[in-house]
Amino acid sequence: MREEQKRALESFLATKAEAREVRLIDARLLSGGAIQENWLLTAVVGGGPHEGVLECVLRSDAPSGVSVSHGRAQEFALLREAFRAGVTVPEPLWLGDASVLGRAFFVMRKARGTAAGHRVVKDLGLGGDREALTERLGEELARLHAIRPPVEALSFLPVPELSPALRGVREFQAFLDGHHTAFPALEWGIRWLERHAPATPELVLTHRDFRTGNYMLDEAGLTAVLDWEFAAWSDPLEDLGWFCARCWRFGQFDKEAGGIGSREALARGYARVSGRRLDWEAVRYWEVFAHARWAVIALQQGERHVSGREPSLELALTAHVVPELELELLRMTGGPDA
Amino acid sequence: MREQPEGAALLAVAREVLLRELLPGLPEDKAYAARMIANAMGIAERQLREGVGPQEVEHLALVALLQREGGLAELNRELAVRIRQGRFDGNDEAWSLLWSATVQRVRESAPKALTAS
Repeated sequence: MREEQKRALESFLATKAEAREVRLIDARLLSGGAIQENWLLTAVVGGGPHEGVLECVLRSDAPSGVSVSHGRAQEFALLREAFRAGVTVPEPLWLGDASVLGRAFFVMRKARGTAAGHRVVKDLGLGGDREALTERLGEELARLHAIRPPVEALSFLPVPELSPALRGVREFQAFLDGHHTAFPALEWGIRWLERHAPATPELVLTHRDFRTGNYMLDEAGLTAVLDWEFAAWSDPLEDLGWFCARCWRFGQFDKEAGGIGSREALARGYARVSGRRLDWEAVRYWEVFAHARWAVIALQQGERHVSGREPSLELALTAHVVPELELELLRMTGGPDA
Repeated sequence: MREQPEGAALLAVAREVLLRELLPGLPEDKAYAARMIANAMGIAERQLREGVGPQEVEHLALVALLQREGGLAELNRELAVRIRQGRFDGNDEAWSLLWSATVQRVRESAPKALTAS
């Protein structure tokens, strides 16, 4: 971060924190985040309600991003609604516009712990008892799903005219129609999704990227659910299918809930808060959907490299997860019963 | 004539050096990049070893299923169109072709996925 940006940020933070002065003693770019940039800020706040050392994360748009995600102001609004509903999220602090840093950003309190999926599934020193953690994640989802439209602060979220399942199918098809290469196995999975699309009786606020790798754990348990930029009004089972989908278990396939626990534990937590028992047959549809959606996103990310716009080894390798996602789609949708 | 060892063998031995000699000495924040490089080299090596044979098999299978001639990319496009139109709903022959072609791509891109339980 350049010096003049730091000065601008200090002045912004001082105003928002109602402080006499704010001194930024560290600003560090965190890794991870193909769409956004995350900066870890350590500031000394003089005066006002935040007096003392403030550790927070500044989240801004990255130089290039996937077009389907929300802007920072919208993500901030989503975080606020989730926070109010009692979901464990980093406390949203302040929203900043482009006049401060040249692009939109917001500041949230830093959450402790680690999120990296491969570590989370293997390092049992994280997150406390795993079945209890899985139940807790079920509770978190249920709290989020208690938010129903209309919500004034979330009026930027479109209310789908089609069912969420068919809306997804049309989006996937539209992407493939504009893509230079055909993916018939993916198309097969999408066709199955179209033929089996459920109606959604009631829309709820869904996270749409609620999976291992997107929540933080310390030694004791959950500290924050992260990455709200894909949130939308949808079918609540979409989040449960995404969480349980085989492609998000980080190799721990026998732990069917996110590679960390049992489906039963997840369902117990979900039912405790929502009063709703999960129908796993219905969730299965959304697990198929998860594989198709992740395949489309992986193609989009890979294309950023393939097109030459943004050469990146990470993006290039993301394109190579598509075949295994297609294989799983075929596995789930083939055979006489499919 | 090309020099031995050729591309695939060179990638294999270079990948060994990366994983066995360099990776253990790298700081934590560089280890991820090293693993990505090893992964990319593995994919490239497997593609070179597989050659064009599997694409020829896929091509023949597509011609048989679709009952028409054309290039590989064109026939895959045609298959995708017909699948979307519902003309292969529940069709075991189409599913088997997709399965074989996809297994072949997984073999190159992520072979571990074929052995995972």
